[in-house]
Formats: sequence, C-alpha cells, structure tokens
Amino acid sequence: MKQHEMLAMILAGGRGSRLKDLTNKVAKPAVSFGGKYRIIDFPLSNCANSGIDVIGVLTQYESVLLNSYASSGRIWGLDTKDSGVYVLPPRERADANLSVYRGTADAISQNIDFIDTYDPEYLLILSGDHIYKMNYDKMLDFHKANKADATIAVIGVPMKEASRFGIMNTDEENRIVEFEEKPEHPKSNLASMGIYIFNWKALRKILVADMKDPDSHHDFGKDVIPVMLNGGKRLFAYEFKGYWKDVGTIDSLWEANMDLLSEANELDLHDDSWIIYTEDATEQPQYIGPDAKVDVAYITQGCDIEGEVTRSVLFTGTNVGHGAKVIDSVLMPGAEVEEGATVTRCIVADGVHIGRNAVVGSADSENILLVAKNVKGEA
Amino acid sequence: MATAFGIITAGRTRFHVEGLEDYRPIGSISFLGRYRLIDFPISNMSNSNIDRIQVYARSNSRSLVEHVGNGSYYNINSKRGKLQVLFGEENSVNDVYNTDIAAYYQNIEIIERMHQNYVIIAPGYMVYVQDFDALLKQHIESGADISLLYHKVNDAKTNYRNCNFLDMNRQKGVKSIEVNDAEKDDRNIFMDTFVMSKDLFVKLIRKARSVSSVFSLVRIINLESEDLDIRAIQHKGYFAAITDFKSYFDANMNLLNIDVAKQLFEPSWPIYTHTTDSSPVQYFEGASIKNSVVANGSLIKGCVENSVIGRGVIICKGAVVKNCIILGHCKIGDGIRLENQVIDKWAKIQNVDQLIADPDRPGYIRRDDVI
Repeated sequence: MKQHEMLAMILAGGRGSRLKDLTNKVAKPAVSFGGKYRIIDFPLSNCANSGIDVIGVLTQYESVLLNSYASSGRIWGLDTKDSGVYVLPPRERADANLSVYRGTADAISQNIDFIDTYDPEYLLILSGDHIYKMNYDKMLDFHKANKADATIAVIGVPMKEASRFGIMNTDEENRIVEFEEKPEHPKSNLASMGIYIFNWKALRKILVADMKDPDSHHDFGKDVIPVMLNGGKRLFAYEFKGYWKDVGTIDSLWEANMDLLSEANELDLHDDSWIIYTEDATEQPQYIGPDAKVDVAYITQGCDIEGEVTRSVLFTGTNVGHGAKVIDSVLMPGAEVEEGATVTRCIVADGVHIGRNAVVGSADSENILLVAKNVKGEA
Repeated sequence: MATAFGIITAGRTRFHVEGLEDYRPIGSISFLGRYRLIDFPISNMSNSNIDRIQVYARSNSRSLVEHVGNGSYYNINSKRGKLQVLFGEENSVNDVYNTDIAAYYQNIEIIERMHQNYVIIAPGYMVYVQDFDALLKQHIESGADISLLYHKVNDAKTNYRNCNFLDMNRQKGVKSIEVNDAEKDDRNIFMDTFVMSKDLFVKLIRKARSVSSVFSLVRIINLESEDLDIRAIQHKGYFAAITDFKSYFDANMNLLNIDVAKQLFEPSWPIYTHTTDSSPVQYFEGASIKNSVVANGSLIKGCVENSVIGRGVIICKGAVVKNCIILGHCKIGDGIRLENQVIDKWAKIQNVDQLIADPDRPGYIRRDDVI
C-alpha cells in the first residue's frame, strides 16, 4: 500500500435542522446546491484537487442517501487502487456499546482503527456542510513550516457577527493564544472554519484520553482544542481568503445560491483548474422554449424552460411552464412550476409541483419561503 | 437477457460530413450540444443489456477513443461487459479496399471468440432509439437468417443521400439492398442495422473476402440473398441519418422542436455520454435566449435564437446568434452577428462584424480558427 501522508475525515453526521423540511429525509451534506451539486461535493472535490486520496465520511443522521452517494468514489475520481471514499457510520462493537457519535471528536475516536490502517502522518478534519474551494495541501505546508501540533483554518468575519462563531485569538506569528466559543465581547474576528490539521500520533493520544473522560463533550471546539492549548501545544491559525459559506438556514442557502449569479462571484464554479465534481445526471441539455425569457440565471441540464426566469437558480430536471414566472428563487431538482404560476423569493424543494396559475412567495417578504409540499393549481 | 454482442461502425464511411469530418470520425461528431453521434447506438445497446460492444474505428480516431473510453460512462458492467475500440488498419492506399468487411476480417479472431450467439450491427452515424433486445427476440422468433431495420420515409428524393433502401416483397422479405437513387420520395431507408447469428456473420465475412476484396457486408448479402431468408423490420419513432453537412445541420435544428425531441429522449431510455463535469449555464444581465438547446458550462451574455450551443461556449455581450450550431468551447465576441453557421470547436469569432449564410447553405468555421 502506498503511504498516505495525510488522511481526511469529513464530519457529515449533522441534521441541519434549521434547513427545516429540506433535511427531513436527507442529511445536510446531501442537500443540493448551485444547480447540480450537493454540499458535500465541495469538501470531497477540494480533497481530490488537493491530492488527498483517502477520505472517511462520518455519517449519522438520515444517512441512506448520503451513504450511497458518498461511497461512489468515482464521482470525484477517488476510485484508484490507492484511493477511496469510505463511509463510516457508528457501529456496534464487541468491547463497548457505542451506538452513536457523541460529538465531533468522538466520531474520530470511534474510527481510530480505520485511521490506523493507513498510519498517516497528518489527519485533516473537515466539515461536510460548508461551501468553499480550498487547497488543503497549502494548509499542510503552512502546518509543517510552523512545526505545529495543530493548524486551524480561520476566516475573517465582520466584527459585529464575530460573537456567533468560535473565535481564535492569535499572536503576530499566527500562533493561537486563546480560543473562545461564541464570545460576547470578541477580541478578534478570526472565526474557525471547522477545518483542522493534526499530527495524528499526538491527536490519537488526546482522543484516547477524551473517550474515557466522563465530563467531556467529545467535541473538537469544546474539548480537544482547549486541552491542547492548556497543554502548551503549538496551535496555528491558517487564514483563508476567499468564498466560504455555512448554509445553515433557508435564507443563507438561498443567498449562497444567489451569490452565483453575480458577474464577479468569488466561488467561480466555471474555473476548470479547480473543478467541483458531482454525480453526472443522464439528462439532455437544457431546452429554452420559443416564448421563454431568461435574464440572470444559473440553469443546468435536464431543464425545460417555457416561461420567464429572472435572477434564479434552476437545478437538474426542473420545468417552468408557459407564462409561468420564477423570480429571485431556487428550484431544487425535479421541481415543476406549471403554466401561469408565479414563484417569488422561494426555495422550491426537490420534486415539488407548483400548480397552474398558483402564486407563491412575495417580492417584499422578509424571509425566503421554503415550499416543501405541492401547491394546488387554480383554474 | 440479450445473447448478442454489438458492433458499431464509427469510422470513415461512404458518407462525408464536410468540414467536421476532417477532424474526427463521423461517430464522434458533436450532436445537440452535449452528445456525440455514437452515444446513441452505444446507449441503445447498453439499455438493451448488450454489454459486449465493439466500436470499429479507422483513421483520425483520437477523439473517438477519448470519448468512449472503456465504456464506463455508458452504464456497462465494468467486469462482465466491455467496450472495445477496434482499428481497421488502412492497408490500402486505394480506399475502395478499405471496406467494413476488411476491418471485420482483420479482427475475425476476436469476433469468433465472442461467447454470444448473435451479433447486432448498428451505424455510428444514425440517430434513433431502438430496443435491440426486442429486435433480437423478433429476429429469433421469425426464424430469419438476417433481419434488417428500416425506416419508412417520404422525402428520399431530397434527403438520405447515399443511403441504402430495402427492396422488399409484400411479406417484408428483402429482395435486395439498393442505393437511394433519389427517384422516388417513398422509400424504406435501410438503417444500416443488421441482426444475424455470429456463425453466419463469420461465414459472410470469409465468403466476401474470397469473392472480392472490394466487397462490403451489403454486397455479400445481396450476392447471397437467393440462399438466405432476409427480413425487414420497421423502425418507428425518431430517425435521423447524418450523411452530409446539411443533414447534420437539419437534424440538430429539427430537435429544437420539443415535440420532436421528446421522441428521442424518453426518461426510461437514457442517452449516456462522457461527462465533463462542467458547471451549469450562466445567463448574465442583458442576455436573451429563445428556442435553443444549451449544454452545460456555457456563459451567455448576448442573444441566442434557434440554436444549439455546445459545452463551455461563451457568447459575449451584444452578440446575436441565430440558427447556428456552436460546438464546444467557442467564443463569439462582442456585438458579432451569426446566422446559419456551424462553428467547430475552440474557434473564436472576434474580428468580423457578421457571418451570415443562407439557411439552405449554412456556413462552416473550422476548428481552432480565429476569425
């Protein structure tokens, strides 16, 4: 077996309950984004593009779809003899009755045996629910240059929002001197992105101790990082500049989709030097009908547009009927807006039908409306 | 369960698509933005559970080999199935000797080693949907030696140049296969699709070689027709024969009619192709688009009407593209007007105001050209 310098583990067990009905049946990492992608395509493609070829995906909540999706390593080119995407849900064991992952750190602890089979020098911990493009290999270079025990990726957030995040306080050399979880009076605006590189041997020791600690939350932010800081370990903040979004709510999921429409959007999914890979839909190319009007839109294959689409993102296989209007909205895969219907400031969930002449959402709504059930048409 | 293996003829044929075919064999010509012509026969075979497929290529095959790969894009079982590209070496300077039979004969050991008892041969230059499993069943039940697939047309005087038609008796027995002489509009156009047993196929190949080295499969079947039970099976549904530049242009344009396209694209009969992982299409402020098909990865800032836009195409601000086929990765510059053009891959149109052709004689811009 080829030696793997760094292994990646993606935490993908969260429900994302603030996404309401969108995550009733699928875990947040499997939620659709940007016309043809799923959220987890971003960390997986980043790994593939960064030269990391063994990846564990830790799943828990509603994981049927996510497990089958993430285990298709070929989607991201991770299906050679030496590479693979391994789905790791909690399991029953002979020596303990562990049946769930009790926290982010516990999810790794319960898979120490998996990681040990590869015996990597470094372990990369990622979250399965963020949208960004990042070269983890550069972060590893930074980690090595600093002779760090752990490196945490951070991003500058507006100071007034800093109290919503885990904030890293650093010295001039980017060494982390203090970590504060959602501080009331933040001293810095460097928010943790939930991306960590650890020296595996050192982390392994801490995890083994953490598993036995009855007072621990078994969480990286709450337990592992403070233990390392208190123990005088070398922790560094790696500042990431670029597009990064946690699409935790309906509004932020909508916003992230709308960001793609701007001419100077930072995420730039057209960049062929850093492709985000996703499952190929065997659908015909999009068809725009003779009476259609399309102005500022992101539309993917399998769509059939006969009506008007304005400032909207349309996912695989959506239909917009004659005279229908889709404005400032997101149509998830297979959604259908029938003739004459109007959809404004909505996310229409997967496969939902908006009936003939129906009107959903409104231009001056404060929040984005999630339409998760079929809407009846009118005569 | 199909007991046939498939053969797809994708190399140089008696047809010639002017311009486009200078760069690639007919089977790997781009079609409807996202596809190559050969995707249709391969998908038909894959959907019919035929998972041993031989693609016959001749010269200029790079794009074909790259496109079909090992068949993994076509839903073919990666262990049990196999898609092979077989090359007919063009030994002869005189092209009359480079027949389909010559290519089969060069690979006859491979053909003889196939475990399947039947062979289905389909062309890489005709676009249609056909369940080959059903066709094979019909062939076996009829007891015929050879079954040939045909499509009834009523415009053979002006179209289907160089195609063959079937001369049949009333019981759909085939008397002979003849070249379309453009004398009658009503013809049963032969879809260059054959079903027969592997043993007969091998016998015909050997026989053809012993009779004449210019013989094609059609010629030997005609010669042997007295001794063979040859039957015609009618195909219904969408059918296009890409036999020259005009028929290529027309077939693409015809599929802009959604009712026509629906005959070709059925949800239960997927058409597979090589994925390129391109992003969705982005339409910018000021863009306008009507009656068009657009493949992923394209950026649309100008006006597009009645056109087929390939992958990763950029239509700049103020450009007007009407009745055009733009192949992958082309760039149409600011304010340029194009009408009735086929723009081959990677071309950049940037230094002219307009390129306008007559709809009956569409224009063609070569691959990689900068105009």
